[in-house]
Amino acid sequence: MTINLDEERDKTLIEEIIELGGHDLVKCYQCGTCIADCPTGIADEPLSAKRIIHMIKLGLRDRLVEEQTPWMCVTCGGCEERCPRGAEPFEIILAVRRWQCREDETYIPLVLGEIYERGHTQNIVNASELRKSLDLPEVPPTVIDRPEYLERFRKMLRETKVVREYGYIFGIDEEE
Amino acid sequence: MPEFGLFLGCNMPAIRPDVEKAIRESLPAVGVKLLDIEGAACCPAFGTFYSVDEEAALAVNAWNLALAEKLGVDIVVQCGSCYSTLKIGRHKILNGWKEVIDRYLQKADLTYTGKTDVRHIIDVYRNVVGVEKIRESIKYSLDGMKAVVQNPCHVLRPSKIVGFDDPEKPTALKDITEALGAKVPYYEREKQCCGGSGGFAKRDKKANLEFTKKKFDSMKDEIDPDLIVVSCITCLLHLDSIQEEMRKQGMIDYKIPVFDYSQILAICLGKDPDKVARLSVTPRDELIGRVLDNRI
Repeated sequence: MTINLDEERDKTLIEEIIELGGHDLVKCYQCGTCIADCPTGIADEPLSAKRIIHMIKLGLRDRLVEEQTPWMCVTCGGCEERCPRGAEPFEIILAVRRWQCREDETYIPLVLGEIYERGHTQNIVNASELRKSLDLPEVPPTVIDRPEYLERFRKMLRETKVVREYGYIFGIDEEE
Repeated sequence: MPEFGLFLGCNMPAIRPDVEKAIRESLPAVGVKLLDIEGAACCPAFGTFYSVDEEAALAVNAWNLALAEKLGVDIVVQCGSCYSTLKIGRHKILNGWKEVIDRYLQKADLTYTGKTDVRHIIDVYRNVVGVEKIRESIKYSLDGMKAVVQNPCHVLRPSKIVGFDDPEKPTALKDITEALGAKVPYYEREKQCCGGSGGFAKRDKKANLEFTKKKFDSMKDEIDPDLIVVSCITCLLHLDSIQEEMRKQGMIDYKIPVFDYSQILAICLGKDPDKVARLSVTPRDELIGRVLDNRI
């Protein structure tokens, strides 16, 4: 990627990413250890924590919004473990995802709505017959099968920022 | 008898409930009592609340931890990413986030003091049950077979928070697999991630296949294993099903059966393979037959 230094640069970007969880971002000295062992390194467009941190430091807001690679992360923790500066690159990648969701809500994974709806990413109820044939409870006693727990779970989630701000993802009418 | 709350997560009970069955059979058979965590929810996974709203993610972690704490037990979990988010979440809650998270729990009429911890199932087999107990409990063995082990990334790193094993040279999963009688030789790409977690496989299928092929070719060339032993639902699903994709694309021409540790242990304990190891893409019947011929 070529960086045009005449591009619009935003000095507050770094503070926003720190605020969203990339607390140790400034420790990065661009050594590239984070890329060395990243599984996505084999891809045509690999995830590079080093490059993303550099973009943040340069304040390239518009480019960061469009950057798709943070969502390729396999969450393996390799970069986090090996960073010689303790910059916590994995936490920075998660912070960038959060920042992108805030800047462009189409980034918000719709699976959040499913977790609100039934407590799980998967609809375990669909496996009832299979589970029964394995001599397991047809539905496990998790929140998906306990309406009183599900109501409390949702009540708690309705206090969170993401549910308050993006009610439509959770089937909540914002007019209410 | 040690007691744990079994945290199911989302994928195992929905997609591979035979693994849940294997855990529910195996752990009690080696002396661990399992309790259901009534009302448990998604951990939540890194690709969900953690990618959008950290405070919400920690609240959901706390929900699960609080329900286990109500039972007075630690959590045992098989899924690597559930283990990691619960363990990292717990660490954050107890190191700065507690007051904020308590307010969420209050809304759900729950409390979490921090007493309940999170243990990965490998840690429980290795360090609570122990290799001796496993060795003396089995009726069938993997004697004469070569296994490779796939350590879940999430139980190794970041080691200062999640670690119970050496992050650069993990031995726990190897120890408990050797306790079943198998040889577990080292191969070069032993520590390579399975590639199944997060968005890699979804966003660049071609690169993901090439990445995983490197791992498979390394184990095939160097060891030619009879089976792969995993202990994470994502490793299981990915290493099992991606072989079929690679075969279809002419990338590999071999098949290596993949088992969750609790499944192969359950078979060695004499449990019904049709209940504890029914579902797979890459066939496992021949290997199961060989184990059942190895009566101790």
